[in-house]
Amino acid sequence: MDPRPALTEAIERQWARLARPGTWWTGAERVDIALEVRASARCRLCADRLEALSPASVAGAHLSVTELPAAVVEAAHRIATDPARLSEGWFRALLSERFDEARYVELVGVVAIVLAVDAFDRASGRPPRPLPTPVAGAPSRRAPAGARRDRAWVRTLAPEDVTADDPPLYEGRSAANIHRAMSLVPDEVVGFFDLDNEMYLPDRWLRDWGTEYRALSHAQIELLAARMSALNRCVY
Amino acid sequence: MHTGDSYDFTAIVEGGGDGGVPHGALLMAFGAAVHGRDDAELARQREEVRRTLGEEALVDACGVAAVFEAVVRIADATGIPLEDAKEAASRDLRADLGIDRFADLKKG
Repeated sequence: MDPRPALTEAIERQWARLARPGTWWTGAERVDIALEVRASARCRLCADRLEALSPASVAGAHLSVTELPAAVVEAAHRIATDPARLSEGWFRALLSERFDEARYVELVGVVAIVLAVDAFDRASGRPPRPLPTPVAGAPSRRAPAGARRDRAWVRTLAPEDVTADDPPLYEGRSAANIHRAMSLVPDEVVGFFDLDNEMYLPDRWLRDWGTEYRALSHAQIELLAARMSALNRCVY
Repeated sequence: MHTGDSYDFTAIVEGGGDGGVPHGALLMAFGAAVHGRDDAELARQREEVRRTLGEEALVDACGVAAVFEAVVRIADATGIPLEDAKEAASRDLRADLGIDRFADLKKG
């Protein structure tokens, strides 16, 4: 199966970005988060929690394959394996000086890229691709000055609060809440939706019902997308 | 949707039927296989999509299924809500389909 060149390029671009220094994590730490996402599929604690009426009722240790702190491992594993039952209380309990909101949001971005690419490869019948080699360097540590708490568990950057110092995270995108969710770390928005544009549809095509841009129709794409959301028990 | 066509949204939650969309049942079965862990079932569904809809459609289906495995996690992990307008417009539909019960899971 040969994906469209633009799709292949977007996957390769975002896969390579996994290993580069991010906004708050180093390249090595980002790859470690990716390793934990993959380990979560074999984690007994995650499996037991998934079966339990309440995940909090099951104690134990994750199958961790890195030296990342326990809260970071917990975040990567739970987001990967049991997203529907994440709660604000769970999120708040994870936070600390070393694992703050911004680092959490960047972790969400890394988890999302790994899961999307791994799911694409598995769906296509390919083996999981090797994780990229970490690139040395320091994180940029650039936080958007206008981010504030209003509608999510995490602070977000509203389109009207974006400044010239921020990456163009809403360029070509609506102000839909899903675009805003990771805006505390703008590079994660830009990176994830670069991939989303090719795996799904860019915003400008979403409601252009008169033209079909893919081999699947708008209706077929939306039906499949909605079914995936339902299988994941996602309200959004 | 704004095309004037009618769709059956119960298929999205319950997984039966085609939702009024051509080859909808096939695509939803493929999506379920991507979401699941049975590699043999996924291989069967992949070949069915390839045989019925073609190679390009299979690529599209792989992309949509894969990226929505990730999008849902961005929404769930950040606690981002539905936009007010979408929440109001879809309130009855979400109640009818039982989608609102997904929110109760977060209380567990």
